[in-house]
Formats: sequence, C-alpha cells, structure tokens
Amino acid sequence: MLKNKQAIITAQNLGKTVPVADGDLTILSSVNLTINEAESIAIVGASGSGKSTLLGLLAGLDTPSNGSVTLQGTELTALDEDGRADVRNKLVGFVFQSFQLMPRLTALENVMLPLELRGDKGAEQTATALLKRVGLEQRLRHTPMKLSGGEQQRVALARAFVTEPAILFADEPTGNLDSKTGEQIIDLLFELNQEKNTTLVLVTHDAALAARCQRTVNIDAGKLT
Amino acid sequence: MNRLGLAVRLLKRDARSGELTLLVLALIIAVSSSTAISLFADRMHRTMSTQAAEFLAADLVITSSDLISTEWLDKARELGLQQAKTSEFSTVLIENDELLLAGVKAVSPLYPLRGELKTTQADYSVETVRNHGPKAGEVWLDARVLSSLKLRLGDQVTVGEQALTVSEIITYEPDKRGDLYSLSPRVMMNEADLQATQIVQPGSHVHYFFQFSGDAEALAVFSTWVKPWLIPGQRLMDVQDDRPELGSALSRAERYLGLSSIIVILIAGVAIAMSTRRYSERHFNATAILRCLGCKQNDILRLFLYQFFILGLLACSIGSLLGWVTQEALFELLRDLLPAKVAAPSVIAVMLGFLTGFAILIGFALPPLLRLKKVSPLRVLRRELEPLSNSAWLVYGLALLLISGLIWRYTEDYKLMLTIIGGGLLATVLSGVLLMGLLKQLRKLLPYVGLNYRLGLQGVLRNPTASVTQILAFSITLLAMLLSFTVRNDLIQDWQQQLPDNAPNHFAMNILPQQASLFEQQLKQHDIPAADFYPVVRGRLVGINDIPVQRIVSKDSQGERATHRDLSLTWGHSLPSDNKTVAGQWGTAKQGEVSVESKLADSLGVTLGDKLTFSIGSEQMDAVVTHIRSVQWDTMKPNFYMVFGDGSLNSYPTTYITSFYLSDANKKVLNVLVKQFPSMTLLEVDAILKQFKTILTQLTAAVNYLLYFALLAGFTVLFASVNSTLDNRINEGALMRALGANRALLNQAHWVEFSIIGMVSGLIAVLMFELVSFGLYAFVLHLDFKFNLWLCVLTPLLSAACVVAAGLWGIKDVANKPPMWVLREI
Repeated sequence: MLKNKQAIITAQNLGKTVPVADGDLTILSSVNLTINEAESIAIVGASGSGKSTLLGLLAGLDTPSNGSVTLQGTELTALDEDGRADVRNKLVGFVFQSFQLMPRLTALENVMLPLELRGDKGAEQTATALLKRVGLEQRLRHTPMKLSGGEQQRVALARAFVTEPAILFADEPTGNLDSKTGEQIIDLLFELNQEKNTTLVLVTHDAALAARCQRTVNIDAGKLT
Repeated sequence: MNRLGLAVRLLKRDARSGELTLLVLALIIAVSSSTAISLFADRMHRTMSTQAAEFLAADLVITSSDLISTEWLDKARELGLQQAKTSEFSTVLIENDELLLAGVKAVSPLYPLRGELKTTQADYSVETVRNHGPKAGEVWLDARVLSSLKLRLGDQVTVGEQALTVSEIITYEPDKRGDLYSLSPRVMMNEADLQATQIVQPGSHVHYFFQFSGDAEALAVFSTWVKPWLIPGQRLMDVQDDRPELGSALSRAERYLGLSSIIVILIAGVAIAMSTRRYSERHFNATAILRCLGCKQNDILRLFLYQFFILGLLACSIGSLLGWVTQEALFELLRDLLPAKVAAPSVIAVMLGFLTGFAILIGFALPPLLRLKKVSPLRVLRRELEPLSNSAWLVYGLALLLISGLIWRYTEDYKLMLTIIGGGLLATVLSGVLLMGLLKQLRKLLPYVGLNYRLGLQGVLRNPTASVTQILAFSITLLAMLLSFTVRNDLIQDWQQQLPDNAPNHFAMNILPQQASLFEQQLKQHDIPAADFYPVVRGRLVGINDIPVQRIVSKDSQGERATHRDLSLTWGHSLPSDNKTVAGQWGTAKQGEVSVESKLADSLGVTLGDKLTFSIGSEQMDAVVTHIRSVQWDTMKPNFYMVFGDGSLNSYPTTYITSFYLSDANKKVLNVLVKQFPSMTLLEVDAILKQFKTILTQLTAAVNYLLYFALLAGFTVLFASVNSTLDNRINEGALMRALGANRALLNQAHWVEFSIIGMVSGLIAVLMFELVSFGLYAFVLHLDFKFNLWLCVLTPLLSAACVVAAGLWGIKDVANKPPMWVLREI
C-alpha cells in the first residue's frame, strides 16, 4: 500500500555543522530519507543523536549546511525564511515537547492563530469545533497559565490539526507529561492523524511510542542507521 | 560556600553573555552624568561666583560717603581678608581750552582684589591686562578724555592742584558702575596722589568703596560682625545684592543644573530598574536550582548583592572617571568663553557622583533583586511558578526616598520637595487610572481590526499592569526630557530677551527741557534709535501717611536705601513699556496721584490709598498711591520707583532722561553730542553689558550640554524597556514564524504595538508636563508660563517614532534568526 503513495518529504545528503570553539561540530551528516504521504514515521535515537535537528531541517525551521529538503515538491533549501514560513503555514503542523502556546492568548485564540495567519474565514468556529473534539469545550477562554500540562498539549494538538496540514511534526510530544496523560495525548494524536489523513513525523526516544508508527528510523551520532 | 568566589564567577559568566550590558550602561550614564554635573556645576559655580565678584572687584564691598572706622579694617585684617580702597568723585578737567566733567577714581595698591584692569597705548592697539592701578605720579584716562581735552599719551593733565602724567588709556575696569562718578569719562589715579590734588576737603562729595576678599567663611564672619555697625549712608554689598539681575541669572542657572541632575538620575534610575527586572527574571531558573541544591534565601540574596556590589563598584568607578573626563572636555570646549582661570575640580564632587551612583543602584535595583530571594525551589519542576512581587511600598519607596533626598539637596526646601513629590505621585496615580481605562476601551476594538493590528493591540493588552508600568516609565522619561528641553529654551530665551543685541548701552541724563527736542533730532540724524524721553525731578521720600519714613523702614532694606537718597521722579499718563500693573489703575491718573514700584512698596509697607510725602528742593508735596507696578530693571531703559500723575511736577525745575544704543563704529558721535549739550551727563554702560552677556553665553553653553545627558539617559530607558520584554517577544515571534507568520506580519504587529505605547506615553507625558511646568515656572524658576500647542501635537508623534525605532531595532533578531535556532535559545 505504501508503494502507491507519493513521496511528500525527501531529504538528500542532508548535513548540519555548527562552529564551536575548536573547529566545527557535525550534528548531522549525509542523511537521505524519503517519507510518503499519510505515512507515520518515528525518528528514534538517544539524547544528542541529532533527531530534533533532523526534525527542524525537515520542517524548514532551520537551514542545512549541505544537502536539500523537498516538501511536497517544493525545495525548502531554495527558499528564504519568509518562503519557508509560507510553506509551513500551508503544509505543516507542529507539536512540541514544551507545548509552546502563546501565553497571552486564550486556548481558542491559540488554535485560531494558524487559520488567521492563512487568512481563513470562520476561524473561530473551526477552532471551537476542534477544541471540543479534544475535550476542552470548557476551557476555550482560558490562557495557558490556567491549564494543566495535559490540557496545554491538547490545545497544541488542536492548533496543529486545525489547518488540516499535510504533515505533522511532533517533537517528544509526551516528554513533559505523566505516563497516563501521555498515553491519552498519543491516542488523541493518532486518532486525529487517522481522521485527517496526515503524514506524521514523530521524534521520540520511547520505543513503545515509536512502535505505534508505521516505520521507524534510528539516528545515532547524526547518521541514520 | 565561598559566596564571593561564586558571585564573581557568576558575574563573569553573565557579563560574557551580555546579560549585564544595559544595566551597566545605565549605571555608567547615571554616575558619569551625575559626577559630570556635580563637578561641572561646582566648578562653574565657583568660577562664576569669582567672575561675578569682578563686578565688585572684590567679594564684599562697604560703600560709604565717609571714611570708615579703622577698627573695621583691623577686624578684616584679623580675619585674614585682603583689602583695597577706591575714592570716587567728579571734577572738571581743563586742558587746551577744553572743559570736561570727569569721574575720578583714586585707587589703593591692591585694587582690584577681583578681576583685572585693561589698558592700551593707542586707541585701537592691543589691550594689556593690569592687576593694579596707575603708579604714583601717573594717570590713566578714558579715550574720550584724551580726544575731548586734545591730550596725547605722555602729556600732563592737572587734577585739582596736582599735575599727573598720562601713561595709559584705560579700556576696562571691572567695577564700573551705573552711577555718575564712574560712568562719566574715567580718570584713574593712584591714592598716593589724592591729597596733593586738594580736591578732597571736609564736606566735599566723595564716595568711598572699601573692598574685601578672601575665604568665604571669614567673609561671612566679617559681614555678620560689621552689619550692626553700619550707619545710614553706608552699605554692605556682595554679588547677590549688588547686581540683582546677575544674581537671579546665577541662581536660575544653578537651579537648572540641579534640576538636570535629578532628571538624568531619575531617567537612568528607570533604566536600571527595568534592566534589573529583566536580569532577575532571567535568573529565576538558576536561583531555583541553587535553592534546590540547598542555598538558603539569605544565601541567594547575599550572592546577588555581592554581584551587584562588584558591579556597582566597577560601573561607579568607570562612571566617575568618565564624568571627570566629560567635564574636563566641556571646560576645554568652552575655553574661549570661560575666564582664563577656572576653579579646580573638587574631589568631594567626584565622591558625591560615586556615592550617588551607589544610591541609585540601591534605590532602583534592590527591589527587583529582592524578588530572587523569594524564588521557590519547586520552580525546577514547575517553571510557571513565579516568585511573589515585592510590596509596592518597597519597590517605589526606595526610589522615592532617593529622589526626595536629591531634590532636597538641590532646593533645600522641604515644602518644595514635598510639593514636587506629592504632585508627581498624584499625577502618576491619576495617569495610571486613566491608562487602565484607556486600555479597557482599546480592548473593545479587537474584534473589528485586522490580524496585524489585533496582534499589536494584544501585545499592549496582554498584561495591562505591565503595559501601564511601561507607559508610565516612558511618560516620566519623556516628561523629564521635555522639562529639561523646554525649561532650557525658555531660560535661554528669557536671558536673551533680557539683553537683546541692540539693548541700549548709553544713558543721557540732565537734558535741559529746551534741548530735549534738539537732542532727539540729533539722535535721529545719526540713525540712533532712542528709548522714550522722560521728565525728571529729583526728590526724596520723607513721609508715609504723615509718619517720617525713617521710623518706618527696616535697616538695610531696599526701602531704607531708597529713602536715604534723592530719587528720580517722573510723571505722565504712559508708563515705560516693561512696567506691569500689580494693583490699581493708571491710564487716567491725575495730579496728586503716584504709582510705586511693587518691590519698594512691599519694603515700605505701602498700599493703595496711602499718602506719600516728598521733599523736592525746599518744598514738600503729597501724593496718594493709586497704582503699584512691577518693573524690569535690567532692560537698560530708564525706569522709575515713583511715577506721578500727569502734570504733578510741572512747577519744579525739570531735566530729561533717555537711553540709546550706539555701536562701536558710531562712538565718535558721543564727542559731538557732549560738545553740543555740555550740561548733559552721558553714561556708557557697554562694559557692563558685555561682561553680563559673556556670562550668559557661558551659562547657555553649559545648559545645552547638560541636555545631552538627559537625552542619552532617555534613550537607555527605551532600549532597557524593549530589552526587558525581549525574551517573551523572541519566544512568541519564533513560534509565530514556526506557525507560518511572515516577517512583514510580525513587523506590522510590533509596529502597531510600539506606536500605541509611544503615542500614549507621549500624550500622558505632555499632559503631566503642562501641569508640572506651570508649577515649576510659577514657583521655582519665576518665569512666565506659556501653553505650548505644538508640543502637545509633536510629543506623541515623536515619542511614537522613537519607541517604534528603538523597539524594532531592539527586536530585530526576532525576525532575523531561523525559528528553530530561536526556539532552542529559550
């Protein structure tokens, strides 16, 4: 079934080097990876292996030192920052370990934000519906400060799915939650992923979580193994 | 735990990461400006006092129509004061069949004690500075005496019975006064020749000036000791009483310097408070870890206090040094304007700047720093746990105490200090309430505006208390800058108005009635604009409501001085243009009515309806006070203590007085006028005017320079304020960009947010400014208050432009870094 799908993300010879006091430090080198539409893939590795860096490069949050990334036919490395922002807005959703909600906005406003950035009409209704879907209909007007960790991550999930992105990047989405809440969030993540037919790229060091994805790639010292 | 070692290590790390840059910068600006101002003001004050003393040629002068008791001179000697004496009188010189009424001044060897004399060898040759008068047997003459009497250098001139050799042309004497003796063409001779002239006989009209200089304390002791012994006709003069217009310019300048100093400290204090707030917020996590590892609350406090003490020591040292260099540079810059000898910088002033720096650090940085003590160790698990804020009393109390102390130091007036602080607090609270209301109204706009405007507005509204604090901080900064700027402008304008370029520099007195119109014609012929001509009768005030005036006036008051001599009395419907009615009406004044100058009226206790008796020649006449008016004595135009109703003094022998401006090129006209109107007395006041203008130019330059400090401190506040919210902005900006927002949208949102903050701050500042400046002008600087509409329009616009520019520059990294990089930085 996977063979019929088209590649949505292609990374070719991807590398990332950063300057340090005594020369250059290679974080990633020669990464070649293809991810297909609607596929769920887990990138696993130990701390410092380069998995979050890879996620950042695949999502266009950062630029590689060498190599290229293509997202649904658009080569990210050929775009400037505003061009990449446009691609992210149209194609990509994010879930972060530390939730990264806008502290000054309410739950509803946080979820509305990506729609508003796209200029969508009816942002409030769409966002409200999705927050109800994640079980937060009572928390629409609450700011992140007034929400528990689990609730904050639900808002983050709603925000990630509200634009019905082609690809969802999740960086250790349960890292800041207790195991029970973490499980609930993961269940919700996979449910929404199924519903919206989204490609899921999940970074984790949790083998059980990785096992729930269709494919797992390992990363060690900046190289895929 | 070696807390000091750890403190130094942490401090080094913070310094390397740029964490402390703005804080240190603000502190250095505060210390360097307060040191520079303190040093500069101290040196300027001492220099200007010395220079102002030149107007007296001494620090203290006793004027007397008789020789004073030798006991007084012994007392002065005992106190270590230097002494000099001048004897001034008028005499007619006759040479080469020409006659001239000259003002003779016989000077003792030490004259002048302050300032210097200047002479030349020919009319236009180089001036030579002289520290003493002519030698015995020699005489120095005004150029006009030479031309009038057809004399040349080396000729003999006979003063009374004594022939003296003309050795120099005198061009400048420091204590040239506006009276008959010294403003007639000058003849300066040595005291040793005085007796031989045989002019000074018992009963002859001589004015003596006993001059003293020396240590301020000794002068004060002498002044206190001698005052009770003074008899009518004797006067004690120092800079303040002798030249009130100079005294008021000096004290205004001093008040401005003090005000500038407080303003810079206040602005820099706001910057320090903002920077420290950010510093402590950024250290919550590290503090929580230290607490987790077993640090007690007091350990934490001590750790940070050590760091701030070291920081203070470094910044205050650098600031003091910079302050010292700055004031040196300033004196160097003004070298052409300043006298050759300026007072040396005082170590106490440097120390004062250093200590003020520490006081600012404690007053403004301690409250936010104390918050670190309250950081919970639980924060290691729950990052959202914020330490409790300190009580408002502590946060604002320390800063208020510091500012109150500084205001008191400069004004030494409790009432004024409490008025300023009370008014300031009231204005701040009212503005705070007003702002809260305004923000509430702005919130209602949210559903109706586009995303960029909404995000900008939300930036202002997200934390109303923080926004109000920030806007108030900007407003106070702007207010301080506005005050500094406009007070400076008005002060300078006021000084310039006092003495415009073509201010009259000659007085013509004793013009006979039949010659007045001819004299006016002559002036017109030479294109010389004259002030109005006033009829004058000399008379003395002898009674108030039938009580002899000597029983009424208090000793050494203005009233006493005015009643011990003949006054110039005039009459007519119109008053000199600068006179302003204080009480009563004048336009229709009739015979037997009199208008009195307000300060003299106060001193004499005279009010409307009182009867004044004057002695004119051998007659007495009464007049009822129907008008009291204020007079600007420093306009160099004829002015009068007493103006009578039209025609009141027609029956008395009258002369006329006027004043006019004559350029240096036109000076030769004087000889023509003197010849044509021999009975007229001509007074030249050029020298006094020039000296006065030089001092005003110096003050203006100094005042301009001080404004730069206020501006510099103001911009530090802007950057500190933007910087204090930088972390949140970077975080939010990065997130927005991760979600797909482009740079333009972020910039627009920030633009809207900063514009609102800047505009509202400008509005509040201008409102507070109009209120504060009204009080300041009316009660402190004694200038006329004028409402400035342009300022009300321009301030909010300029403020918005500055806040937007500083804000966008401060957060440029938010839009320029890749979002991934920024997210990892947090």
